[in-house]
Amino acid sequence: MVERPDLHTLTGAYAVDALPDGERELFEAHLAVCAACEQEVQELQATAARLGAISASRPPAGLRARVLAEIDGVRQERPEAAAHTVLDELAARRSLPRLVTGGLGIAAALLLVAVGGLAALVLSLQGQVADLEVVASAADQTSSELRTVTERLAQLEQQTTDTPVPTSSALTDVLAAPDAVTVSVTHDDVLGRVVASPTRGEAVFIAEGWEPAPHQHTYVLWLINPDGAAPAGLFDPDEDGRATRVMTGDVAGATAVGITIEPEGGSPVPSDEPMMVLQLS
Amino acid sequence: MAAEGRWLHPVAGADEVTVPVQGPDEEALLLAVARGDQAAFAALYDRIGALVHGIVRRVVRDPAQSEEVTQEVMVEVWRTAVRFDPDRGSARTWILTMAHRRAIDRVRSEQASRNRTQRVAGQQHARDFDEVSEHVEVAFEHEQVRTALDTLTDLQRQAVELAYYQGYTYREVAELLDTPLGTVKTRMRDGLIRLRDALGVA
Repeated sequence: MVERPDLHTLTGAYAVDALPDGERELFEAHLAVCAACEQEVQELQATAARLGAISASRPPAGLRARVLAEIDGVRQERPEAAAHTVLDELAARRSLPRLVTGGLGIAAALLLVAVGGLAALVLSLQGQVADLEVVASAADQTSSELRTVTERLAQLEQQTTDTPVPTSSALTDVLAAPDAVTVSVTHDDVLGRVVASPTRGEAVFIAEGWEPAPHQHTYVLWLINPDGAAPAGLFDPDEDGRATRVMTGDVAGATAVGITIEPEGGSPVPSDEPMMVLQLS
Repeated sequence: MAAEGRWLHPVAGADEVTVPVQGPDEEALLLAVARGDQAAFAALYDRIGALVHGIVRRVVRDPAQSEEVTQEVMVEVWRTAVRFDPDRGSARTWILTMAHRRAIDRVRSEQASRNRTQRVAGQQHARDFDEVSEHVEVAFEHEQVRTALDTLTDLQRQAVELAYYQGYTYREVAELLDTPLGTVKTRMRDGLIRLRDALGVA
């Protein structure tokens, strides 16, 4: 596994929740494969919790009753869920897609139909989406996914150490790849651009002119292929409406990239038709 | 429940509240919650709800939103209690870590909708970070935490406090403190390590 020593210095920023979205999820993937960081994070989170425990504030009257009433109707996770893969945990906690690659059962959850260059997503939910679980037999695959993600983080880390501008090495690598393709779509000055290298299996999404996502929502990238759509990362435009996101997942197998607006934290499946589709092939 | 007789009293504000010192009974309660015990959940709420609300208020600030986030956190405690592993840390750490993250997520999503106009207007970082020290002064828990914070260098302390209490990302902290990103990350880590050692966190 490629690992840069300074990846480990992120334990502190992670423990105080100071990693920006995206980097946080990637670091969590690193944590899953780095026992030393995991141990240190536990200790630093316990330390941070001490900082948090220096203030107390009586919750508003009535909140207790509302919470108790609400939990009465909330199904608890079952014990086996706790033993699930780290990716599962990540997906539940925030945003890294539960199904990082296709082939982990996503085809069972949804079906994509591409018609005349316009992609329409037809959701075929089988049971509760929340019940989708990564099967144990995917553990090896998951492990290799984690390595990939960790390597991406190392790349991201490399560039952020030097400069806040998102000209990642992954981006330059993709741009320099002989088979790199660039696809752009513009609607009303809102630009989406994907630079993808199928042989490298990497793609970068670049946004310009985007409004912030609605309250408690986020933009989600999807890698679309004839079998379905898999989440490929979140992005939040900065104050200039720009974002650059190294996409995760099976880039080589994707025929298009779609963008939807999802509730904060992302979704395992698109909740609506994409607001923008970029055809890769 | 050896700790039961000891209560900490806040000096801050009108929301007077008492919070029991952390004890092993919280782990027992949380483990019972994981088995679906609603009475244990109610007891845990009574024990730790004010701490959850306290950290959420500190980060989120807006009272109505803080209430919503506190509710989300407590419901998440119920829903995911089975993930709690006492070998990996205390119940209180587990819950407050979740509370802090939820609070941060709320602040960020609020910022996402506000930032554009504010930042463009040059009002970025309207929250003066003198407030940070003041908030820590106001806080009641333990001279111990205050004393431990005093062992940090200014940069370590500012980096940790801006991130933890104000919800800034390390990039924003770097900008605020006019310090390179790598330095900020390192200071957050070595600052927390120093705090860990000063507080005797296992």
